[in-house]
Amino acid sequence: MEKEIKRNCKKIQSEKAGKTQTETKLSDKIKPESVTDTLNTSKKKTTTKTKISISKIQRFSTADGPGIRTTVFFQGCNLRCKWCHNPETQSTKSTFLTFCDERKEISGKAMSVKEIFSIIKKDVDFYEISEGGVTLSGGEPLLQADAAKKLLSLCKQENISTIVDTAGAVPFENFLKVLPVTDLFYFDIKASDSKKYLSFTGGDFSLIRENLIRLTKTGARVEVCVPLILGVNTDASSRNKIANLLKTAGINDIILLPYHKYGISKYKALGRNYEFERKKLTPSSVIEKTKEFYRQKGFTLKTRK
Amino acid sequence: MIEDLRKELSIFPNGEKSEKIYLYLGHRSHYKERPILAKAYGTANLFRQPRAHIYENDLIAGSVRGLFSSEFDERIRQKAESDFSSYGENTFFTNSDHFAPNYRVFLKDGVPGTKEKIEDSMKKHNGEKERRFLLAVKITFDGFIDMIKAYSLAAEEKAEKTENEKNKKNLRLISEDLKFLIDNPPKTFRQALQLMFMTHTAFSYEGKSAMAFGRIDQYLYSYFKKDVESGILTEQETAELLTSVFLKIYENRYFGFDDTVNICIGGITPEGEDGTNALSYIVLKAVKNANIPGPNLSARIHSKTSDRFLDECLKVIATGLGYPALMNDEVNIPALLRHGYEKTDVNDYCFVGCIENFIAGKQPPWSDGRFNVPLYLEPIFFNGKTLINPEYIGIDTGELDGLKTMNDFLEAYHKQLEYAMSVYFAYFNNANDRYNPENYSQPFLSIFCEDCIGRAKDIRDGGSKYPSVHAPACMGIATVADSLAAIDKLVYTDKKYSLSQIAEAIKANFQGYEKMRKELLAAPKYGNDDDFVDRYAVWYVEEMERLVSPYKTRDGGPLYVGIASNVQNIPAGEEIAATPDGRKAKEPISDAASPMHGMDKEGATAVINSVSKPDYTLAACGTVLNQKFSPQMLNNEENRNKVKDLIKVYFKKKGQEIQINSVSRDILKDAMVHPEKYQNLVVRVSGFSAYYVNLDKSVQLDILKRTEHNGSDGV
Repeated sequence: MEKEIKRNCKKIQSEKAGKTQTETKLSDKIKPESVTDTLNTSKKKTTTKTKISISKIQRFSTADGPGIRTTVFFQGCNLRCKWCHNPETQSTKSTFLTFCDERKEISGKAMSVKEIFSIIKKDVDFYEISEGGVTLSGGEPLLQADAAKKLLSLCKQENISTIVDTAGAVPFENFLKVLPVTDLFYFDIKASDSKKYLSFTGGDFSLIRENLIRLTKTGARVEVCVPLILGVNTDASSRNKIANLLKTAGINDIILLPYHKYGISKYKALGRNYEFERKKLTPSSVIEKTKEFYRQKGFTLKTRK
Repeated sequence: MIEDLRKELSIFPNGEKSEKIYLYLGHRSHYKERPILAKAYGTANLFRQPRAHIYENDLIAGSVRGLFSSEFDERIRQKAESDFSSYGENTFFTNSDHFAPNYRVFLKDGVPGTKEKIEDSMKKHNGEKERRFLLAVKITFDGFIDMIKAYSLAAEEKAEKTENEKNKKNLRLISEDLKFLIDNPPKTFRQALQLMFMTHTAFSYEGKSAMAFGRIDQYLYSYFKKDVESGILTEQETAELLTSVFLKIYENRYFGFDDTVNICIGGITPEGEDGTNALSYIVLKAVKNANIPGPNLSARIHSKTSDRFLDECLKVIATGLGYPALMNDEVNIPALLRHGYEKTDVNDYCFVGCIENFIAGKQPPWSDGRFNVPLYLEPIFFNGKTLINPEYIGIDTGELDGLKTMNDFLEAYHKQLEYAMSVYFAYFNNANDRYNPENYSQPFLSIFCEDCIGRAKDIRDGGSKYPSVHAPACMGIATVADSLAAIDKLVYTDKKYSLSQIAEAIKANFQGYEKMRKELLAAPKYGNDDDFVDRYAVWYVEEMERLVSPYKTRDGGPLYVGIASNVQNIPAGEEIAATPDGRKAKEPISDAASPMHGMDKEGATAVINSVSKPDYTLAACGTVLNQKFSPQMLNNEENRNKVKDLIKVYFKKKGQEIQINSVSRDILKDAMVHPEKYQNLVVRVSGFSAYYVNLDKSVQLDILKRTEHNGSDGV
């Protein structure tokens, strides 16, 4: 009997080992000296003991890029978009949510890069068959760029495709850190001018704009995501400005995301007021019109599915 | 036309169900004969006497409507009832239904070929018992032939009366086909389907349920191909003919419940090639068009299955019907081969009832029972006693202090289970002995099983090519794995509680032990891809195989492990006290092979990873993994592709079965409040689909509670 159990456990372990034979080798590979710090932006030694403050990890994520993905939601954001649907990820500190059915959740815990990667790795078979991979989202993943880079490097060593979903309001050097290990950037453009950016998101549009242009110049693959929000970016003038920016940046792929209110329950669970509670959903006529506009301008409309 | 037929079927028949009276009337006029013969006359009369009912919109004849009659008085009804009890009980333990006939052979032989086989065998056998059996076969088959004649006449009469030209034409065709079938094996697709369904109708007359159609896309394919090639049949007509047959399964509602007629498509051929063909797709479409719970469609998937086929399956699942259930050949075939069947027979396997693996027409009808595995944790804690179940008396495996390690604990559990299985088996043996095959023979059913006629032996008495099988459906894999993991974690790993403390908490149903319950609930749970607990699911499946492997059925057949529970996880839970996984007394245990509701929190990939860890080639009966995806996951092509990839990985990792519900939670909730609005809402329950509004509230809630995967969290 005892033997049986031991055998079973061994079986699982050996299966596990079979799936990820590189487990031991991997730890050799990621020894500090073997990681080429191409851009020399990080002087710190790279170890997987580095921690990332995350909100949560979602497996079988199907709305954050092609195929079956694991999305790592980073904790902490430097924008405060009034429509934000992940408000629990905004604070850099741990945040408690209490839902109306008394379910409690904590957003924000420190996990080592190694721990996170061990979860990511569990689904490699699914990424492989579906051409999926890993998406770093948040929050703003690039606020923890050094750690993000380490995580992404591990993914690339295992040939896992990587996407970084960013609002872009970070020093450009943070982009440079993750650049060599990121296959695709989802770059949000939420409004068309500094004033709107400041009042709706608290963000510095000139920095974001600058980053977008510089990022595409590096040759990185970038798709711009625009949340379609009435009174913010769906009017003719906003659309034109966004289109012009994208042209300037040399971006061809755009993802239009209709505004939704799925985040309301989270505001309630956080005990926070949702300023956009009464905001109208974007009518489908407006969505269609906006799509048509960008299509006419020669952009390729993409989805995040 | 199909919709008109649906309307006709929806009207319930007048009169009372009288099949036992027809049996009785045939039986009593031959009381002087030996039981097997007297009963065969009963069966023959049951086929012969009832009115052959033809629907105005019939495309294929066959109906149980004629069993309903107002012509008999209460006295004869009561007499028939008591006479019927001498026929033996219709139970799972005594191989009476849940059978897939050998339609491949029967359609090839047709009526004349079968008659010839019976006569040939009569010439070869001189033994009294053999001859008596063959005579009984002949008596029932003659009754069946008269039934075909009666339907042919009824169709002709109906054709005369009807004014609708199209219907008239169809009814004439039915009449001619039936007449043709009396003297010839079927030539056309229509005739083959007609003969198959007339046979199925005869079984329905007999009160047999869950009689499977089996691999309909295989045994009807040559007829279909020939007719399409010669231009006498179109794919559209084929779909209509099949839909009209599948719709008839609705008739079982007149008896008060939905039947579960398993229909198998796809899979490999006996020779090992991909058997998916044009007819597979048409069957899929026809089942979808029928849009009722009864046809329990199963799709066999293997490494050579095309993406297109899987996608079409998912599209049908997306309608909410819940079928086809997707079955993995790469697990089921090795699982069956372990029991010594011939490879070509195994490659040709199908299903009966919900998900039970079956070799069509080569073994006696299915037999299974329920084995409530989590219940047997209790006697470890309470010196052989159970707390709620009044009947069960376990064995004393000693004081809890003596269980020093997790392996000691498992050893004690093994002893309890070993004893419980012996109790189960004693009961099984008793039921089998009570209905010995000689007195409770099934001559008509034997016709459809190789090689009862040739051997001149009843299907339950050595006539079938393979012996009978029995499968205890081992329930509660997740409840057990979670309970063992919680004990491992809190008692043996963290040493936070003693087993006696856990026993106290179980006894108190956690009242006063809320903190402990919280910690038990927080221990690793099956379905989250966590080896700490998943290894106990691996152990569970191996343990079940260990428990059943010493036993054999009455005729020396194997015991299969089934990791399924139907909806029995609810009543099973009612007789179990609190369990160490944190589940409270009387709450449902986990369903089939699925994780405990609401405990699988890491998403669908984690469920797949967990559930594919046990070796399911040890479970030859089959498993049921219920998963729920929100409708937007299946209706959008990009998302559906992701679900498809998920299933492909699951099957690559040797998962055995998956079935998917995709009715939104909101609709399910609303249907509980406003059942009148959802009369036709079909959902996947367990190994079968059903009308949601007709389910017991506890079952409705159980379905509602299943974790729903939507691939995003509003994020």
